[in-house]
Amino acid sequence: MKNVLVYAEHRQGATRKVTFELATQARTLADSLGGKACAVVVGSGAGAIAQQLAPYPLDAIYCNEDSQVDAFLLDPVVDYLEAAASLVGASLILIPNTLSGRDIAGRLMVKLRAGIVADVVDFEIAGESVVCVSPKLGGAITTRCALRPGEFGIATVRPNAFQAAASGGTAKIEQLPTARRSYAAAIDNDVEEGTGELALEEAPVVVAGGRGLGGPEPFETLLKPLARALGGAVGASRAAADAGWVPYSLQIGQTGKTVTPNLYIAVGISGAIQHKVGMRSSGAIVAINKDGAAPIGEFSDLLVVGDAFRIVPELTNLIEKAKGNAT
Amino acid sequence: MKIVVTMKLVPDPNAEKKIDPQTKRLVRTGVETVLNPYDEYALEAGLQLKERVGGDTRVTIFSMAPDALKETLRRALAMGADDAAVLSDPALEGSDVWATAYAMAHALRRLEFDLLIVGGLTDDSSTGAVPGALAEHLGLPCITNARKIELADRTLTIERETDVGYQTVRAPLPALLTTALTFGEPRYASLKGIMGAKKKAIASIGLAELSLDSAVGSDGSKTEIESFAPPAARGQGKTVEAPDAAAGASAIFDFLRERKFV
Repeated sequence: MKNVLVYAEHRQGATRKVTFELATQARTLADSLGGKACAVVVGSGAGAIAQQLAPYPLDAIYCNEDSQVDAFLLDPVVDYLEAAASLVGASLILIPNTLSGRDIAGRLMVKLRAGIVADVVDFEIAGESVVCVSPKLGGAITTRCALRPGEFGIATVRPNAFQAAASGGTAKIEQLPTARRSYAAAIDNDVEEGTGELALEEAPVVVAGGRGLGGPEPFETLLKPLARALGGAVGASRAAADAGWVPYSLQIGQTGKTVTPNLYIAVGISGAIQHKVGMRSSGAIVAINKDGAAPIGEFSDLLVVGDAFRIVPELTNLIEKAKGNAT
Repeated sequence: MKIVVTMKLVPDPNAEKKIDPQTKRLVRTGVETVLNPYDEYALEAGLQLKERVGGDTRVTIFSMAPDALKETLRRALAMGADDAAVLSDPALEGSDVWATAYAMAHALRRLEFDLLIVGGLTDDSSTGAVPGALAEHLGLPCITNARKIELADRTLTIERETDVGYQTVRAPLPALLTTALTFGEPRYASLKGIMGAKKKAIASIGLAELSLDSAVGSDGSKTEIESFAPPAARGQGKTVEAPDAAAGASAIFDFLRERKFV
């Protein structure tokens, strides 16, 4: 493993922030390993993504606008990644730890006979040895796991673990040869249900609501304006998702998503273990709860005991004022 | 039709995981071993499909687990699975994702199935890489995160959840599926099911039967855990009583200022 290869995940030309985080981190890792930093981007809109990646410190961007990538379920992506890996040669392959990224990584592991470490938040490199740091057991422990020497190693990397910085871009954009035309799992229909808001796992700030909100409306009227003011996304506890107040795609916790934003604001969430394991690795944690003895206080930096329905609008207003958008 | 559902045995997810500071190992004393909760959704999908397809459709549980824990699978048999097969061998201990998927794939190949259903994640170490790896080893189409499953003329039509919505995906059998939690709550075992499960077969598969051509266990792994430790402790948090909303809001605002979020 000498070079570093990044899978630039996107959705039909819409970028994912984690792609730029990986493109930036790839340079640091490649410099330590003494190799090249490259990225692969395929599918409809790949050319535009390649252009957006160009300012990042990569040596080469392998690209193919093949529309068949969007007609089949991940198989073409896996083939393109395998092709790029053999072009680049022995490498550490960085894949975002997302829904698609995890599926791709498992399949690529077998194709390349590579070791894999999941949910990586940091790397330690000495010579050609690569050690990956990742939280396990819902953040209860942190492991340091080495990729044994071999041609390829794969790390699925947690969004928000690294900073993105567009500088020093000199990459050539190179065309990847077109892969197979047909695969078994065909996509008949692809529907977006969200409103194009920031993906929960990638949001730098998450404002989450729980049982204490009492219904679906406060997610719109209380949490959304606060999340918007902070440039973040809205999430929820299992209780709120089970009650049907929000879709399950917003659920954070053991049976939902794991998030690690820089700032997590928990509103009306008691902080049961189910929820805790999905958010406790966040940067700063603030809780608003009417119960001063709620377990969430045990792992929050700040617990405000009071009425969320009155505190949240006041807080949103203070933030908007500070930003110069006083109302 | 034959359906195989994979199940992992994990420490009770409702128990708080603690590391013994002396041994640096996970404290397992007093923690019950249970079915990985995600795999119960996979089993529910298999059982619903069996009910719909009918005929001689069978649901077989497959697990890679120490022999001493295999009785835990009775719970899956009580829910309605027909039988179980367990791959257990002391040589499997310490297997990483690579070695685990490699051994599982070889054992699964012997079971001969039309559909393999795998849980979305495992509760104890969520790498999420095993389903894709199994599909690749077995040469199967891999459709993850299914919330709705239709089957007609040996073709699956799956509604699968994505980050932003859902996709409809079509694939022929044999295939591999993983289930989303929105598929539907796993059923409870009935009393009749629990009684019936006692007579159902749990077959053991040993590594010797699989004639593997490379090592498993820690020797056959491509990764190695060097150390593990509890994460850096969060400092003692502050609690502010705010009977007055303005005071509560400004306590948070000051905190956000101090941490430069505003």
